Amino acid sequence: MEELPIEKPKIQNRQRITFATAQTLAYVSVLELGLVWEHALRRAGAPVKYSQGFNPRPKMHFAAPLPVGCGCEADLLDVWLTESWTAADTLAALQGKTPPDLTVVTVADVPPDEPALSEQLVAAEYRVWLRDVTPADVSAAVAAFLEAEAVMQPRRGGKHKGTPYDLRSLVQVLEVRPAPAPWIGLWMRLEARVGATGRPDEVLKALKLADSPRRCTRERLILETPTPGANEEKDLSTD
Amino acid sequence: MTSDPIAWEQIEALLHRVQKPARYVGGEYNAVHKPWESVATRVCLAFPDVYELGMSNFALTIFYDLLNAQSDVLAERTYLPAPDMMALMREAGLPLYTLESYRPVAAFDILAISVAYEQLFTNALTLLDMAGLPIRSAAREDRHPLVVGGGHGAFNPEPISDFFEVFVIGEAEEALPALVAAWQASRALPREDRLHALLPIEGLYVPRFYRPRYTAAGALAALEPTDPAAPPTLGKRLLPTLPPTPVRQLVPNVDTTHNRAVVEIQRGCTRGCRFCQAGIITRPIRERPVAEIVQAAADIVDATGYTEVALLSLSSADYSDIRLLLEQLTAQFAGQHVSISLPSLRIDSFSVELADMLSQGRRSGFTFAPEAGADALRYRINKAISTESLLQVAEDVFTRGWRTLKLYFMLGLPGENDDDIAAIIDLAQQVRGMGRRIGGRKTEVHVSVNTFVPKPHTVFQWEALASADLVERRQMMLREKLRGRGLALSWNRYDITRLEALLARGDRRLNAVVERAWQLGARFDAWDEWRNPLAWEQAFDEAHDASFASAEAMLDFYLYRPRPTDEVLPWEHLQSGVEKRFLQRDYQRSQAGELLADCREGCHACGILQNYPGLWTDEWACPGGK
Repeated sequence: MEELPIEKPKIQNRQRITFATAQTLAYVSVLELGLVWEHALRRAGAPVKYSQGFNPRPKMHFAAPLPVGCGCEADLLDVWLTESWTAADTLAALQGKTPPDLTVVTVADVPPDEPALSEQLVAAEYRVWLRDVTPADVSAAVAAFLEAEAVMQPRRGGKHKGTPYDLRSLVQVLEVRPAPAPWIGLWMRLEARVGATGRPDEVLKALKLADSPRRCTRERLILETPTPGANEEKDLSTD
Repeated sequence: MTSDPIAWEQIEALLHRVQKPARYVGGEYNAVHKPWESVATRVCLAFPDVYELGMSNFALTIFYDLLNAQSDVLAERTYLPAPDMMALMREAGLPLYTLESYRPVAAFDILAISVAYEQLFTNALTLLDMAGLPIRSAAREDRHPLVVGGGHGAFNPEPISDFFEVFVIGEAEEALPALVAAWQASRALPREDRLHALLPIEGLYVPRFYRPRYTAAGALAALEPTDPAAPPTLGKRLLPTLPPTPVRQLVPNVDTTHNRAVVEIQRGCTRGCRFCQAGIITRPIRERPVAEIVQAAADIVDATGYTEVALLSLSSADYSDIRLLLEQLTAQFAGQHVSISLPSLRIDSFSVELADMLSQGRRSGFTFAPEAGADALRYRINKAISTESLLQVAEDVFTRGWRTLKLYFMLGLPGENDDDIAAIIDLAQQVRGMGRRIGGRKTEVHVSVNTFVPKPHTVFQWEALASADLVERRQMMLREKLRGRGLALSWNRYDITRLEALLARGDRRLNAVVERAWQLGARFDAWDEWRNPLAWEQAFDEAHDASFASAEAMLDFYLYRPRPTDEVLPWEHLQSGVEKRFLQRDYQRSQAGELLADCREGCHACGILQNYPGLWTDEWACPGGK
């Protein structure tokens, strides 16, 4: 007689990792950052859930891809785990298991049925420091950009590659901010909804500042419903 | 040259203007950062091609681990920037730096450059120049790093002998630490004396202590030591047992050519393919014990988080306990989403069975290397497989569910004629027909045809390179017939092959040609988008040795004449351990179309055992040793 497989209770364990990347890790693509995370979680021994099939992939989702050349201070990654392993377990296990420029800020439990991060995301805030430009030039470019009714740019990829979209309407805030010498600081809040995502490098291109040496950091991702742990310590009234 | 690190801001300022900027920043997990002042000797390990390729070179992984394990030594890495970054670095006045500390390469005591294959030669010069070092070793001073070359390409280092102070011939796991220790001990001496002090170390070749003499006809008469301490002939360095496997392997943050854990399961090969250089220079066969491999694989997976473990060897299925090994590894990693890959499989049903064990329903591509289309030519190169059995194995591959079969062939083999090309076409079409019948319309057959290069130290080392006309005509035959749905063909450009052959088979008179080509902009010789064939043509014209009437005469001399077996070959003073008379005897067997059995089945007295008495251990799969 064949044995029936024992039905294990299905564990729905979803955790949200808030992380920061800097310097060397600012230059990887989002696919590569996924691999960096997969390796780090495996080194940590976290019981990550894998998809079925011939090419099993870990079940994890970023809120939004980081542009190549951009670091972050509080990006979000949701990870699904197969065992009752707490957020504190994940945080502890990741100590010393990430590459030098990847830092775990917090790990929090998330209700398994919450919508995907990318669906909750509404905006992202970026700090961009520029060099070899004058404050006057930057201010003038910013003013001209903000005054424009529309700033049409060709789409970078996807099905509609090349067709124009209005970048101006995706820029909620754009301003010059103080930065340590020799940098000139820019700060922007860009819309980040499915199908309507502003990118800082596109803004720089529109400002004709894309050729300047830069240091770009995504400071914060703004979700529709702020989840406990991930965003609560941040002041939401920066603009 | 200051040894201070380059400021991050200086590097950062270039990164937004280059492709794949992550190549230039390091930051990998398991990278070793030792305080500069805490050690006596600093070694820079360099692979003279782009990061993605260099990170996949296992030799560098071994030496990085081995040298950093020494408390008084630190090892950091550098790779060659792609042309876009190179231009920006030159413009900004940034020298080549290492990825750990961002220190200038010129600040290190020793610069060890891989010359794994001939297409890296001009890149090595570019690397020296980017580091701010004089290209020629004779121009380097006490303050400059010692420039060391090693890898399979060092088995004929003569065409680049002017650019390196020393070459490691053979396995460097013992020789490189010995060199580091000797260089450290001789710190107070002038450079020339320090180089002299390297001569007694087994496996180190210091070209400046040798002088070539040529015959009236322009052939090499002898390469003579100019110092009594320099041995007239120099045997490769050989390890009695395989070195421990590096566990804390670097995990790159970006995708590389082979982004996976590696365990070398055996070194050497017993197949005796007559065109194969690796099969001769890596003898004898040494097998790592099963338990050691399984333990190493588990440790590496823990230390890296990798989801793939590649079992490295020249012919995986020949490993004596391969089935047991795979059973243990699959058990070890069950449920952990770790896959095992087994490169270099031979063409038989046993290999297909092994691949089947590992792929767990996943069926990407299967690769065979029949090398020749017809049985007779296959026997001449000592590939003991008939077309009939090959087709049976292909059938097995398709039946088990693979939908892509890659077939590797060589063109321009000794004794090849047009019928052999027709046989490749016929074989590929039969395999495609069979694949479609079994696997349906989506089945694909990829045929890859490389042009044969007669490599030093092989049975075919006396052969000539096939002419451009012949090779291109035969490539055209293939291109006309191997097309259509489900068939893909790839081949090499002849001028790339010719350059590889020239650099593989040349002598010291080529140093001037290499240097001139490099001055004219030759680099990345293996890269279609970056190489510079015109620079080479011009260098052949301008810099060929005065002993040749013209560039054509030079090419004819090095490439297009069979070399008499009594001619002194440029690499003859560097010995693989396999005797010349064994190669000659096997060359005769080849001409008679005779096969030579796998030497696991019986010793053919190639010479390795006699030349390395006392090194034999249980790891050797050489029957003669027991």
